[in-house]
Amino acid sequence: MLEKLVNSFETHLFRNRMWVIISFIFITVFLGYQASQLKMDAAFSKNIPLNHTYMQTYTKHQKDFGGANGIMVAVEDTSGNIFNPVFFDTLKKVHDELFFIDGVERSQVKSLYSPSTRFTEVVEDGFAGGPVIPADFRTDEYGLAVVRDNIEKAGIVGRLIANDYSAAMLSAQLMDFDPDTGEALNTIEFANELEQKLRGQFENDNIKIHIIGFAKMAGDVADGAKGVLLFFLIAIVITAVMVYLFSKSIMLTVLPLMCSLMAVIWQLGLLTVVGFGLDPMSILVPFLVFAIGVSHGVQMINAVRRRVIDGQATKAAAASAFRSLLVPGGVALLSDTVGFLTLLAIDIGIIRELAISASLGVGVIILTNLILLPLVISYTNLSNAEQNPVQKQKIENIWRSLSKFATPKYAVIVLTCTAVLYVVGFMKATEMKIGDLKGGAPALHQDSRYNLDTFFITDHFSITTDVMTVIVEAEPEACTYHSMLSQIDQFEWMVGNTPGVESTASLASIAKAVNAGFNEGNPKWQILPRTTASLVQAVGQVPTTSGLLNGNCSVMPVYLFLKDHKAETIEVVVNKVKQVAAELNSDKLQFKLASGPVGVMAATNEAVSEAQLPMMIYVYGAVFILCLISFKSLKATIAVIIPLYVVSTLAQALMTMLDIGLAVSTLPVIALGVGIGVDYGIYILSTMSNKLSNGMAVQQAYFEALVERGSAVIFTGLTLAIGVSTWFFSALKFQMDMGILLTFMFLVNMLGAIIILPALSALFWRKAS
Amino acid sequence: MKVSMLRSAVAIGLSACLYTASVNAQLDPLTVQIQPQAQSSLLVDIAKAGDKLVAVGQRGHVLVLDQQWQQVASPVVTQLTNVFFLNEKLGWAVGHDATIIHTNDGGLTWSLQMESTVLEKPFLDVRFFSEQQGVAIGAYGLFYRTEDGGKTWHDEFHQELLFEEDVAYLNELKQEDEELYLSERAALLPHFNRIINLDADRLLLVGELGLVAVSNDMGRTFERVDFDYDGSMFNAITHGEDVYVMGLRGHVFKASNALNDWQQIELPVESSINGALVDGDDLYLVGNAGIILKIDGDKAELVARRQGENIVSVAKNNKGEIWFAGTKGLFQLPK
Repeated sequence: MLEKLVNSFETHLFRNRMWVIISFIFITVFLGYQASQLKMDAAFSKNIPLNHTYMQTYTKHQKDFGGANGIMVAVEDTSGNIFNPVFFDTLKKVHDELFFIDGVERSQVKSLYSPSTRFTEVVEDGFAGGPVIPADFRTDEYGLAVVRDNIEKAGIVGRLIANDYSAAMLSAQLMDFDPDTGEALNTIEFANELEQKLRGQFENDNIKIHIIGFAKMAGDVADGAKGVLLFFLIAIVITAVMVYLFSKSIMLTVLPLMCSLMAVIWQLGLLTVVGFGLDPMSILVPFLVFAIGVSHGVQMINAVRRRVIDGQATKAAAASAFRSLLVPGGVALLSDTVGFLTLLAIDIGIIRELAISASLGVGVIILTNLILLPLVISYTNLSNAEQNPVQKQKIENIWRSLSKFATPKYAVIVLTCTAVLYVVGFMKATEMKIGDLKGGAPALHQDSRYNLDTFFITDHFSITTDVMTVIVEAEPEACTYHSMLSQIDQFEWMVGNTPGVESTASLASIAKAVNAGFNEGNPKWQILPRTTASLVQAVGQVPTTSGLLNGNCSVMPVYLFLKDHKAETIEVVVNKVKQVAAELNSDKLQFKLASGPVGVMAATNEAVSEAQLPMMIYVYGAVFILCLISFKSLKATIAVIIPLYVVSTLAQALMTMLDIGLAVSTLPVIALGVGIGVDYGIYILSTMSNKLSNGMAVQQAYFEALVERGSAVIFTGLTLAIGVSTWFFSALKFQMDMGILLTFMFLVNMLGAIIILPALSALFWRKAS
Repeated sequence: MKVSMLRSAVAIGLSACLYTASVNAQLDPLTVQIQPQAQSSLLVDIAKAGDKLVAVGQRGHVLVLDQQWQQVASPVVTQLTNVFFLNEKLGWAVGHDATIIHTNDGGLTWSLQMESTVLEKPFLDVRFFSEQQGVAIGAYGLFYRTEDGGKTWHDEFHQELLFEEDVAYLNELKQEDEELYLSERAALLPHFNRIINLDADRLLLVGELGLVAVSNDMGRTFERVDFDYDGSMFNAITHGEDVYVMGLRGHVFKASNALNDWQQIELPVESSINGALVDGDDLYLVGNAGIILKIDGDKAELVARRQGENIVSVAKNNKGEIWFAGTKGLFQLPK
């Protein structure tokens, strides 16, 4: 029945081929225009699993305590000493400039120049204090000496001033939405403004500006992503050369490339139509679409050419190729699409976007490369296509040797090797790390400007961006009760004693210090007073801008400063927090994970590792069902899936060996790899399965499948692998990681399809042979 | 300021006490106490116990240095403020919630002798004159004495150290309202910060609001010494023939044994001085803002300044190692 449907579809299509082509052109013009409207787009909230319990705590309290979306700007004096007029003048200008950049939450800008930066000191009759930079400050010797003294008294060395007095810090929180227009903050534009208005304006031989924070990172990633265009061009050139070598025909080189590029244009245009921007993290999708398009295009031109060589007219050859490839190609592409759609199960915005944009792109390929391509080919004249008989013989010899994999003797060897590889790979794969394994921003290389800035700041200041915040939710005015604060104090102490936690801060520990202050600065009084009046006195000194409490102190975060943000570190701390919280939680007081950059990472890590198994099940489930439908054979389905599964496992082992953690950027690779890898198996087995069901011996069936599609499969695997391997040189670390993994997946999946698949077939259909 | 605050706090404090009844029932106190960070968090006093040093601090932490610092279990979780050893075996430590704990094995094991959250006052120092006789002093004139090695403690009220106007006020109140009289009396004396032996029979007591007093009868009665600075004195030490008292905002005074010739020593810093150590001919002072000073006659020299911590105590063991304790725990100076 399916055959009948395909045949009548072909008849209609080829009868109206001009109209079909014209409508494709119109659609391309329309979507091309849409694609030209596409904007780079990165939003912090897309990168986090918003429905994760930690993130719900995060979102709930984001308004009061800011979130993880802040930036830090360190202004460095290259002489190593900030106490000079030029530096202070510059610092003031940087502060003012930062304050007025759109998107900055102005109440949360902190620096030496912000009015909330004050010092307090104990004197005989109580306290004395004032702003660190006095109202009448002049950058003369006297003024600088006063400020230097005040800095010491305010205890801000390490936070707002570098430990070695070589730099000063400004920090700001970003708003998610523009308060005037209500539009989402354009992170990349914001990053550009930072770059121009701060670094561009103030950096010189004496002053260096170091900027870190999600927005800046997104901006730098976007900049790096622009390099993708170059890789795209290189890949197109390489692919064109390879396709030409394969087809020996300019026409047959240009057509599949054009159709694949058309798919890319459609995919980009559709992004605008559905209202997405192009996120730097999913900038690789168009590339994948192109690669997959070429892969199917090559199958198509191969099929047409073979028929022309066999003596058919080009039009008839195209129509016949269309008929024979629509089903396997369609199934393969549908499996890709469904495979990508399974990524929707992961509750992280950016992965969902990737899922949608990739499945759109792959769906489009069905139209451009399975339908349009044969129609266009049918207008060409390939009658001069021929194959050198000597060469033909050579290639057939290769296929003859390869077909031995489908004999029981070799099958045993292949399957034994596969089993051993699988076991070794599986053991390695279980050691795969979750999350980011290195310091700084994982998307960027260790020696990128952003990461160097990060290292400068962590080296020169006692602050770290590796902060996890545990939110304490309690009743209103909870901080006036000794019992409540002492619970927090105990929590802070217990968690502070966890390996990986460098230091901690909370209202409880600050209240103790303030209480010592009220007792003449005597450290022996660094306790939580038992009486409410004394507690109120101590807590009352802590403003809500400190981020240690909300307006009615029903919410009091505990800040945990970690030594790094490696997944193991986070996991140890998170487990300890959960354990201590379970013991201390009561009706009146709960400790809740989590906010802060590392809190977000903890949630992301958990979401990613939880998503891994379901994602695999969905991807394989989808591939399984589609194969079952198209082959109508369980054996054939399993023969396609086992090599895929072994390769996925080996890819995970590779991640372990290369220290690539399972993260938001690498998680989709497995699904993408499975989606693309399945193509090879489907093309080969779809040829084989007919012949097998007609009773042909396995080796012969495999040989004929190789003759028909083997060169296209091998060629595609090599072309895609060479194309993605250029990512290895990318400015973006995550792109490099993806490049390595995809190169591996493309190549090894191809090998799996021509080595393991026939061996499995030999096993499954051994009665027939 | 503090006095008036406490007056108003009394009533509210009672209600807060009811609230604290079920504090931390869930966490095992010993687990909470014995933690790796104990050595690097707030420790406020170090004392010598024979060849060992014993340090005490927040959460009832007690650490003993034999070969290396080792935390030992203590019966309390409130902050300890001072530790005193009569000899290498017998020692006492005091702290907040009017806590007194005792060891008879050189600091390895401790037992509770006294604790009272109702008093709402910390002990700030403890001193024993013999195995049986000792005193513990603290905030708002807190003064307890034992005659039986700490098995029982009895409070003493040192009326003689009240200011004159307060005496009159109290006498008036006593007639009108006995209860209020007692609660007011409990808040009117200055903090007693430190008590030392000037010699076998004379004690020196220093404290809040320029309190410097001597006693010739083992602390049963004191007499204020003429002293014209009214900031708090946190510590006192004898060095040869001289007596030094030290306290708020870098105020250090020196007098001869007769205590009638006070002379201020100019310091290069304005930080409060908390601790002192006599090492041979040298006198070391430590204090807030991480300062370590060496006093040579009338001259003070800044030896070191540690960023971001307050130093509270300093001691030297028989091996000649000098250890400091403060808000970031125990440390030695780099050689």
